[in-house]
Amino acid sequence: MTENEMTSNDSTEPTPTTETAASSPDPSGDPLIEQSIDVEGTGDTAGETGEPVIESRDLNVFYGETQALQGIDLAIPEKQVTAMIGPSGCGKSTFLRCINRMNDLIDAARVEGDLYFEGKNVYDADVDPVALRRRIGMVFQHPNPFPKSIYDNVAYGLRIQDQTEDIDEKVETALKRAALWDEVKDQLDKSALDLSGGQQQRLCIARAIAVDPDVILMDEPASALDPIATSKIEDLIEELAEEFTVVIVTHNMQQAARISDKTAVFLTGGELVEFDDTDKIFENPESQRVEDYITGKFG
Amino acid sequence: MATREPETGWHGENSDVNHLRGRAFEATCLAATAFGLVSVMLLLLFVANDAFRPFSADAGWLATYAATVVVPLAALAVYYYRLDEPAGEVAYVTSGLPVVGLLLTGGFAVLFIELLSVLEWFALLISLVVAGGLIVAHGRLRPKAALERLGVVFLSPVITVFGLPPTRFNWFVTDAAAALGLDFGLYYRVISLREAIMLLPFVPTDWAMLLLTLVLPVAGAAGWFVKQRRESRRDGLAVVGMTTAVAVLGVVAGPLLGIGTDVWLLIVTFAVLPLGVYVEGVIRRGEGVCGLAFPVVAVLGVVVGGVVTGALGFAGPDPWLDWGFLTSATSRTAADAGIYPAMVGSVMMIIVIVLTTFPVGVGAAIYLEEYAPSQGLMGKFVTLIEINIGNLAGVPSVVYGLLGLALFIRVLQWPQGSIIVAGLAVGLLILPIVIISAQEAIRSVPDSFRQASYGMGATRWQTIRQVVLPEALPGILTGTILALGRAIGETAPLLMIGAAASVRLAPNSFFDVASMMPRQIFSWSSELDPSFRHGVLAAGVITLLAVLLVMNATAIVIRNRYQRTG
Ligand SMILES: Nc1ncnc2c1ncn2[C@@H]1O[C@H](COP(=O)(O)OP(=O)(O)O)[C@@H](O)[C@H]1O
Ligand SMILES: [Mg+2]
Repeated sequence: MTENEMTSNDSTEPTPTTETAASSPDPSGDPLIEQSIDVEGTGDTAGETGEPVIESRDLNVFYGETQALQGIDLAIPEKQVTAMIGPSGCGKSTFLRCINRMNDLIDAARVEGDLYFEGKNVYDADVDPVALRRRIGMVFQHPNPFPKSIYDNVAYGLRIQDQTEDIDEKVETALKRAALWDEVKDQLDKSALDLSGGQQQRLCIARAIAVDPDVILMDEPASALDPIATSKIEDLIEELAEEFTVVIVTHNMQQAARISDKTAVFLTGGELVEFDDTDKIFENPESQRVEDYITGKFG
Repeated sequence: MATREPETGWHGENSDVNHLRGRAFEATCLAATAFGLVSVMLLLLFVANDAFRPFSADAGWLATYAATVVVPLAALAVYYYRLDEPAGEVAYVTSGLPVVGLLLTGGFAVLFIELLSVLEWFALLISLVVAGGLIVAHGRLRPKAALERLGVVFLSPVITVFGLPPTRFNWFVTDAAAALGLDFGLYYRVISLREAIMLLPFVPTDWAMLLLTLVLPVAGAAGWFVKQRRESRRDGLAVVGMTTAVAVLGVVAGPLLGIGTDVWLLIVTFAVLPLGVYVEGVIRRGEGVCGLAFPVVAVLGVVVGGVVTGALGFAGPDPWLDWGFLTSATSRTAADAGIYPAMVGSVMMIIVIVLTTFPVGVGAAIYLEEYAPSQGLMGKFVTLIEINIGNLAGVPSVVYGLLGLALFIRVLQWPQGSIIVAGLAVGLLILPIVIISAQEAIRSVPDSFRQASYGMGATRWQTIRQVVLPEALPGILTGTILALGRAIGETAPLLMIGAAASVRLAPNSFFDVASMMPRQIFSWSSELDPSFRHGVLAAGVITLLAVLLVMNATAIVIRNRYQRTG
């Protein structure tokens, strides 16, 4: 019953929150204002702004005694690239792991607050994190293909979900979407560990999209790669946003500026300082601290 | 503060740094190492000398074999070492493979002679395959029914191998059958597929059953391996085809040459097949082909040496450790004494240990590494358990013997000194070692693989089954084999649980009283006749060491084979 209430409330709730937040000077209330302004306004990305698929409300995360995220309110739009930037240790990865409940695997981590995915709080007692993760794929900082063949890597998600039909086709499609097919089509039986770093990361992306998730989370997917491999991954991410909601963590500001539609800036201490259209963040941020960070005065 | 003299400094005679202490320390360490190694080597040399007694041979005999075998092989070895390293490896493998293969052949031959008839083996294997087939079929038909699958996984092997105990249903069926004048010999219980096969009035001949259940599966596995390696289906099929052809040829021709068909099939499976695949690979790659000369020279040398010594009438040595020693039971006279029953006892004990300790130990390790909580009160409890597993690994073996005596013999009333009791007591002894080494192996699987798997939405079970275990398996096997090596040499628990001091007949059931190699060696050490204490004992020790060496070599090969690079 409670869940029904939440679900039905969900579409209407952002508006009142926006209003209460508007009266408060707290910058962490900003994202929702920005979003509502943006919907009404004539911003250059306004046409693309989708419905929020992921929405966090007053999300706090603790590792033991220390708090890693402080009251995060954030709404991530559908089928766009949302970037999270900020200095090391400000909680970007932690936030990402909250979305698909990978934090459950860290014994010390404790999450308070709500995080809605398609209107359902993922921290409700009746949510199976395993099922959730089948809808929300993840790509990690260091390429981590399994020590199996290229084919088995991409087929892994299908197999664990008992999707035993048309595996060949789905593997091929996923590899094509990840722009890797031409390089590996003759060596699908070869070990994935024999690929180069950039290829491995694209393989990990193929592995994540093979099961056709709704959202793809990427935690600094290019930070361990050379510039050429990085630019390939960036091109790929822009393409993926046509079909998936992409949330990408990066500490590379140029990267965020290049590929994302929306940008969230986290600063030390685990607070979300500003969340807005990427253009706005990089050209004319509201907060002085964000401006200092972006212009390299600190961080 | 004194200023430095300009001429003392960083070069020449006047260097500021004093290396004397460091050098002295290094030399002491080296001396300690050398002392340890040299004393063990010397002991082994003495024992080997007693076991083989090479100097009981004529000088001419020794000289002949030195000239035909030792000198050419040494020359080849030096050549490989200096000029052709890959060939050295080829030589090593091609000499080692047949030895291991023949040992395996011997093991299976003993198995068929002492434990199972070929028919029993056939029935057991077919039943297991059927059970596996049932499980797979269920997985295909009802992939979603997880709980049901658990039932199928447990019940199918039980039904196919052991049958069902008496139930009301069986009574009904049997009574009904009896009323109709039929007697299936059910005796109020459902017989298993295994028993049903053994009741068949017509069974294939032994060699056909062996071909089906041993040669073909092993050849199939080798063929699959070759296919994966070379990415050529044809080569894989060729391996299977050739192996089968050679096997059948031997069955036809064997009786003419005086080789038993069963033995021939075993040799083909374990020695000819691996050697053939390896040699073919070497020739194809064309690297280190010279290495193939090594085993050829060795065999030729032995043959030529035999001919020469025969012609010139040189008498060979009279070793304690010979074929007779390996194949006969102990005896009151040293010359007739052998180790065969004790060897069978040791092997059967190892079977008990593998079947019990391996699953329990690996299961415990998986639980501790993958499931057990690491935080809070339960986390502390788990840490306590882990520490105590470490302590258990250090408990003296006599204590485990006492535990076996109390638990299995006094409480469970199993026969004193039986193989099952010995296996379980020694199994308990190595259980902590197995757990710790398996934990080590599981821990060494990079966490990023687990993250990737969980991130894909895999359950914990799927992650363990598909990612963690395949990666950890080589390490688990290595650790377990090394632990088994420890188990096979344990003596104190065997004394405590009353293993027989010496037996004349090899055991043929796990509940038989038996002796094991170390126990047998121990009883030889207290014989009055000095030739027991010097000769037979030494032969027994060398046999035991040889078995250990083979086990450790296997572990090392597995470890090197699967070692991750980087
Ligand atoms: N597994 C963990 N256990 C304890 N503290 C952690 C853990 N992971 C992250 N933290 C802490 O949480 C804070 C945020 O970390 P993280 O989310 O990884 O930052 P970012 O990805 O922005 O660099 C850091 O102070 C870090 O030390
Ligand atoms: Mg991070």
